[in-house]
Amino acid sequence: MAQQTLSSVIRGLFPLEKTPGLISLLAGKPNPSTFPFTSLSFKARSPTNPDEELDLTVDGDELKAGLQYSDTAGTKPLIDWLFGLQERYHGRVRGEGWRISVGSGSQDLIYKAVEAFVNPGDPVLVESPVYAWVETDAHGICSTSLRSILENWPAEKPKPKVLYTVPYGCNPTGMTATLERRKEVLQLAKEHNFLILEDDPYFYLYYGTAPRYPSYFNLEETYLGETGRVLRFDSFSKILSAGIRIGFASGPTPLLNAIDMHTATSNLQSSSLTQAIAATLLNAWGYDGFQAHIDQVSAFYREKRDIFEKGMKKHLAGLAEWDTPEAGMFFWFKLLTKDGSEGDSKAIIETTAFNRGVLALPGTAFLPNGRKTAYVRASFSLTPEEDVDVALGRLREAILDAHKEATGA
Amino acid sequence: MSPQPQSTEAPAAASRPTILPVQFYEDRLSVSASARKPSPLWELFSAESNPGLLSLLAGKPHPDTFPFEYIHLGVRSPGAAGEQVTKELTIKDEELHVAMQYGMAPGEKELRDWLTTLTERVHSRGLNEGWRVSIGAGSQDLLYKAFNALLNPGDTVIVEGPTYPGATPIMTALGCKYVSIDVDNDGIIASDLEKVLDNWDSSKPKPKVVYTIPFGSNPAGVTASYERRVKMLKLAKKHDFIILEDDPYYFLYYGDRPRPPSYFSLEGKILGEVGRVLRFDSFSKVMAAGLRLGWLTGPDRLLGAIEAHSMINVVQASSISQILAIKVLKEWGIDGFLKHVQNAANFYKRRRDVMAAALDRHMKGIAEWTQPDAAMFFWIKLKLPASVDLQNVEIDGDSTTFIRSKAIDRGVLVLPGATSFVDGRQTARVRVSFSLLSDEATEEAIKRLATVLTEEIHS
Repeated sequence: MAQQTLSSVIRGLFPLEKTPGLISLLAGKPNPSTFPFTSLSFKARSPTNPDEELDLTVDGDELKAGLQYSDTAGTKPLIDWLFGLQERYHGRVRGEGWRISVGSGSQDLIYKAVEAFVNPGDPVLVESPVYAWVETDAHGICSTSLRSILENWPAEKPKPKVLYTVPYGCNPTGMTATLERRKEVLQLAKEHNFLILEDDPYFYLYYGTAPRYPSYFNLEETYLGETGRVLRFDSFSKILSAGIRIGFASGPTPLLNAIDMHTATSNLQSSSLTQAIAATLLNAWGYDGFQAHIDQVSAFYREKRDIFEKGMKKHLAGLAEWDTPEAGMFFWFKLLTKDGSEGDSKAIIETTAFNRGVLALPGTAFLPNGRKTAYVRASFSLTPEEDVDVALGRLREAILDAHKEATGA
Repeated sequence: MSPQPQSTEAPAAASRPTILPVQFYEDRLSVSASARKPSPLWELFSAESNPGLLSLLAGKPHPDTFPFEYIHLGVRSPGAAGEQVTKELTIKDEELHVAMQYGMAPGEKELRDWLTTLTERVHSRGLNEGWRVSIGAGSQDLLYKAFNALLNPGDTVIVEGPTYPGATPIMTALGCKYVSIDVDNDGIIASDLEKVLDNWDSSKPKPKVVYTIPFGSNPAGVTASYERRVKMLKLAKKHDFIILEDDPYYFLYYGDRPRPPSYFSLEGKILGEVGRVLRFDSFSKVMAAGLRLGWLTGPDRLLGAIEAHSMINVVQASSISQILAIKVLKEWGIDGFLKHVQNAANFYKRRRDVMAAALDRHMKGIAEWTQPDAAMFFWIKLKLPASVDLQNVEIDGDSTTFIRSKAIDRGVLVLPGATSFVDGRQTARVRVSFSLLSDEATEEAIKRLATVLTEEIHS
């Protein structure tokens, strides 16, 4: 651990560079005159007026900062904007024992959180589409299942310190945890003393009819009345750009410090330049503009969901069953067999369906040890309307083929 | 002097060198790398390209939801007559779609292809020699993954003394032990490594990895000579180790001697076999540090192991950064790129000369140093009062305490050299960067350092 601290010696001495009058020869930062970029501007759509385009520029000091190495936890303009975002959407105020770190995608931050808090052999509570771990259903995580697991935990085994959950549009089930479920989970977190890793990339892609449920990050303060138990992961991948690789973690300062220490020896920081581009856009939009954009994005995916579900009703009625997702971009459906036995979607998907020209993800990919399952995950994010009809038609044929084969007809 | 490979030895037989087999790497991957299985999702991806196939596979966001329409980039290019020409490039349509969307871990194809051509040209490597290029979120991240791919707890790694202080914490966190081999003006002292390996205690597993920074050895500022590289390669084969060639300053060489060829370019010629060198390049010092973009060049199996690890954390280097980079590189072509890096090298040479003059003026007699021929650092031994350890052996003064307790208060900050040694030794060395300061600031900084050092020596 000593070398680990020495590690960020260079980065650790950085703050001293701000001492007035001090000349620093510390860092091997390249000289910006050798960077060949003189300007960066971009056009973005106005979220409030579809006919309007915003001409935005990353210039002067912002561009300079964008081209150079920057702080491990993220650049100031972006972090400042994100604090405002978390206050607006989760009611959490800056300066209350928590902070934000930007990562190269939320995946990167989750990886580092797990590395920091979970040792080999430790148990971690995860949601499962089937009965393997903590059950889920149409209302999201089954808190009764979770309670049962915890109350019956063998006394001699270390209890889980961490619950990993995707409360909106859980991948792959597409289900969203209701307010009741979230409250119960928080109660359990307090009773059994575990952290909640709230992985929420689809938080802004919610299009359900019920009012948006508050996040765990919000509820720990408003419902539990004590904070420090939730580590929240947000992503811009589904709403601004997947290629931008920007995600951010919000949570207790000591937890974020641990994540940043890992970053300091691995990827150092997220791209300063993409952070500058994101910050320029987000500041131009403001929070109202951001909300307008989110409204458009969630309406977009709602429409895609509706088109897809229409196709499923048309082609898969009686051949599959499913719950309708209210967030995210996946349908999770179970292929039914003729005799009601438990089917194997992998066999159908990777052979008949594939040969008929449709590709989806067999549910076994999400189960421990590649267990057999009849479930399939299909993404409706990209496929144009005409192709949805064709794709589901092909899937129908593939399922019927499988039924014929099973009965030997 | 532009970076063209120079060889003073007649090339070995013109036939293709032997390529180390996949099993060679399977035998050497760490436990964690061997255990890592690719996600089933990725395996199915390749099927998406089947004509007529409709895919409902990936949870990729729809590009219509991304608000960006165009990116305009002002780019400065090296002109024919040594001048700089500024031009605005636009990223839109398909290029922009790629910049905005998820990509694959190895990186965007056009960028990989361009870098492959660069490698063929600059390192004289043929295609079909078992190597390829993979893009990473900075070469630091690739280093992190390479160490994770090759090292198990308890493994011994050979490093240079001193070495890059950003690399050793990774290895320490992996539970590695070190053997440190000194460097001199010709780089790593290969004969010292030879002695260590020839006398290796056969009951202990031999080191399988040597980590080296052959150009401008951060922080020592020295560049490995041709002869040292040849010797190191021969030792690599004799004692069966892999060379991690960390080369962020490859293009920032400005020495008087002809540029030595990289390990990657030499291995085939010297050994008649290839696959022992894993090369790390960076865009940070030659394009922009803020891009977070670097690339790996080396054996397919090793790159695969590293990419598998990337898929569960950063996933890929930023698509935008990759598109910005390839846009510029296409504009320049390889010749333009080589000219650009030559300009950058000349720039750092001038900065070196400014600092060298300031050191001559103020630090003679109170410090020792040699002239770096690449990168951006002077590695200076401050003549701090020596101390005596518990065995009554004289040891270097302590630059860490000196910097923290004296120099900072007098308005000058340099990097304590202790961070660059793996054995926890006390040292009087400091690393001084000359990349950023103006002539005046350089003069002032060295003057301040000299003043506080002189006081310390005579206190």
